[in-house]
Amino acid sequence: MTALRLGLVHTPVMPFGPDRKIDFELFGKLIDFHQREGADALALPMHAAESVSLPEAEKHAVVAFAVEHAEVPVIAHVSEAGSALAAALARQAESAGAAAIVATTPYYWTPPPAMVLEHFAIISGAVKIPLFVHNAPDDMAGQKVTAELMIKLIGRLTNFAGLVDQSLDWQFLIELITLAKKVRPDFQLLAGNELLVSAAAIGATGLFAPLAGVAPKLIRALFDAASAGKLVEARAAQEQLAALRQVMKPGGAPQLKAALRHMGRDCGDPRPPLLALDAVAAKALADALGRMPALAAERRGW
Amino acid sequence: MQNKFRGVMQSPVTPLKDDYSLDLPTFERLLDFHVRTGAPAISWPHHKAESLNLTIAERKLFAEAAVKTVNGRVPVTIHVSALAVEDTFALAAHAQKIGADGILAITPYFWNPAREAIYDYFVRLATSIDLPVISYNSPSYLAGVEITGELMARLIERLPNFVGVKEASFNSEKFLEISRAALALRPDFAMLTGVEYLLPSVPLGGVGSYSAAGSICPNLCNATFEACMAGDWERARDLQYKLSWLWLLFRDQYPSSLKGGMVTMGRNVGPTRPPLPTATQERQAYIRGQLEELGILDSEPYGW
Repeated sequence: MTALRLGLVHTPVMPFGPDRKIDFELFGKLIDFHQREGADALALPMHAAESVSLPEAEKHAVVAFAVEHAEVPVIAHVSEAGSALAAALARQAESAGAAAIVATTPYYWTPPPAMVLEHFAIISGAVKIPLFVHNAPDDMAGQKVTAELMIKLIGRLTNFAGLVDQSLDWQFLIELITLAKKVRPDFQLLAGNELLVSAAAIGATGLFAPLAGVAPKLIRALFDAASAGKLVEARAAQEQLAALRQVMKPGGAPQLKAALRHMGRDCGDPRPPLLALDAVAAKALADALGRMPALAAERRGW
Repeated sequence: MQNKFRGVMQSPVTPLKDDYSLDLPTFERLLDFHVRTGAPAISWPHHKAESLNLTIAERKLFAEAAVKTVNGRVPVTIHVSALAVEDTFALAAHAQKIGADGILAITPYFWNPAREAIYDYFVRLATSIDLPVISYNSPSYLAGVEITGELMARLIERLPNFVGVKEASFNSEKFLEISRAALALRPDFAMLTGVEYLLPSVPLGGVGSYSAAGSICPNLCNATFEACMAGDWERARDLQYKLSWLWLLFRDQYPSSLKGGMVTMGRNVGPTRPPLPTATQERQAYIRGQLEELGILDSEPYGW
C-alpha cells in the first residue's frame, strides 16, 4: 500500500512570540535547523509542539507552512476529541500536501474499543495518505491501544501504515509485531521517543524524536547504530539519551522550551495553561544539562 | 568477576497431588529435568510456583528438597517474598541454613510502602544473612510500588551482597533507569528480566532472565539466550517472537495454563491451588493446539 517508510522523524516545538502568537519566521528557522541536523521527516504539531493549545486554523496553517517550507516529508498530527474534527484536520493536511497523518486515541473520552476503532476508521477514511497511530499512554491519562485493536484496524483500513509507540511495553510490542507481520508484512513500528534500542531489537524501524531540538547529533548516532543492527554498540548513546530524557520528562513542553533556550535556540515560552519554568527551575535545568557530557558535542545556537 | 546468576534460569512450578498436597517425587523429577535440559540456575518458589498459596512450612520443606536434589550442580536461589515480612526474614534465614546459593525478594506486598520503607526493608533483609540477594521489581503487579534507579543505587552502595534484580516491568524506561544506576556502581550486577524478554534487554546490559516457559521448551529458552549473546539479532527476533507468544499463552490464567501445557509435554504436575483455576480439558486442548502450531512438540523434550 504505502511506499512511505519513516526513519528518523523529528518533532519540532512550536515557537511563540512574546504576544503568544506563532512566530512563523522562527518556525522556518527551526525547520531548517532540524533538516540540517539529520531529520528524515518532520511530524507536527505533536504534543511537544503544544498541539492541544492550537486552534484548528492554526494547526492547519502550521502544517501548510511546514509542507511549503520543508524539503523532507511532513507528517501532520491530527488528534482531536471528536472523530469528525480529527477527520477534518486530516483532510486539510492531505490537501496541504502532508505525506501522512498521525493520531492518538481520542482526547478526554474513554470510549469502548469498538468506538476507538471507529474513531481511527473515520479519520483514515477521510484521506488517502497513510495513517500512523500514536500510542502515548503517558500523555493520554493511561489510555493505550491493544494489539487486538491494531490488528482489527489493519483488517479494516488499507492506509493504516504503522504504530508510533510511547508505551515502551515489551509485551505489547512483541505481541503486536508478531501478529501484524502476518497480516501486513510492511507494517511499520516506530519508537515514539528516544528509548529506541529495545524497540529496534523487537523490530522498530523508525523513531519519533521529541528531544531532537536539544540533542540531534546524539539522536542521529543512536538511530544510525540501531538501524544498522549495532544494538550493543548503540547502548552508550542510548544511556546518554535515557539520562537526558530523565531530566526532561517531568517538565513536559515547558521544560523542552527551556532546554532549547539553554542550547541557544530560543523558541519563546509555552502558551497558557502551561507555565514557563521559573528562574530557579530554569537554572536547575541548565545546571543538569551542563553536567551532561553528551551535550558538549551538540550545536549551540542555530 | 562474572556474576553467577545469568542465562535463562529456571523457576520450577510446584507439583501438587489431586488433593492439592505437595508432590515431592514429581518436584524432584522436575528439578532434575531442568538441570538436565541446561538450566544455568534454579530458583523456587516464584509466583508461578504458587508461592503465596503455600504455607511457610511447605516452602521450607521444598526449598530444602530443591537444594538437596540439585546438589550443587547449578546454583539454587530461594524466593523468600511473603505477605508478612517477618515470614520473609524467616525464609531467608532458612535458605541460608539449608545451603542455598542466594535469595530473591520482591518489594513488600499489599502495603504501599514509602521509598524509605522499601530501602529499610531490603537493608534489614540483606544484612540478616550472608547470602547474595537478588531484588525483584514488578510495579505493574504491585500497584506501582517499585525500585527506582536512585533507590537501587543506594541499596548497592549500602549492601555488598545486593547482586542483581529480577526486573519485571518489561518497559524500556524502567529497565534503563535501573540498569544505568546499577551497572555504573557494580558492573557485574545481574540485570535479569522477569520472564524471557531477552531480546529487548540484552542490548541494554541484560544478562538473562527467569523462565516461564522452561518446563515446556527449554531448548527454545537456551537458544534465544545464545542468539542474543551472540548478537545474532535476526535469529534472536524469530526465537523471541515464539517465546513471547508462549508467554502470552501462559500469562492467561497463570500459572494454570503452564501446568496445563506441561501435560501435553508428558510432564504432569497436577492441579493449581485455588483461588487460581486449574486448566480445564478445553484449555489444555487449546494450549496443545498452540504448541503444535509453534512446532514445540517436535523440537522439545517429551516426558521426564
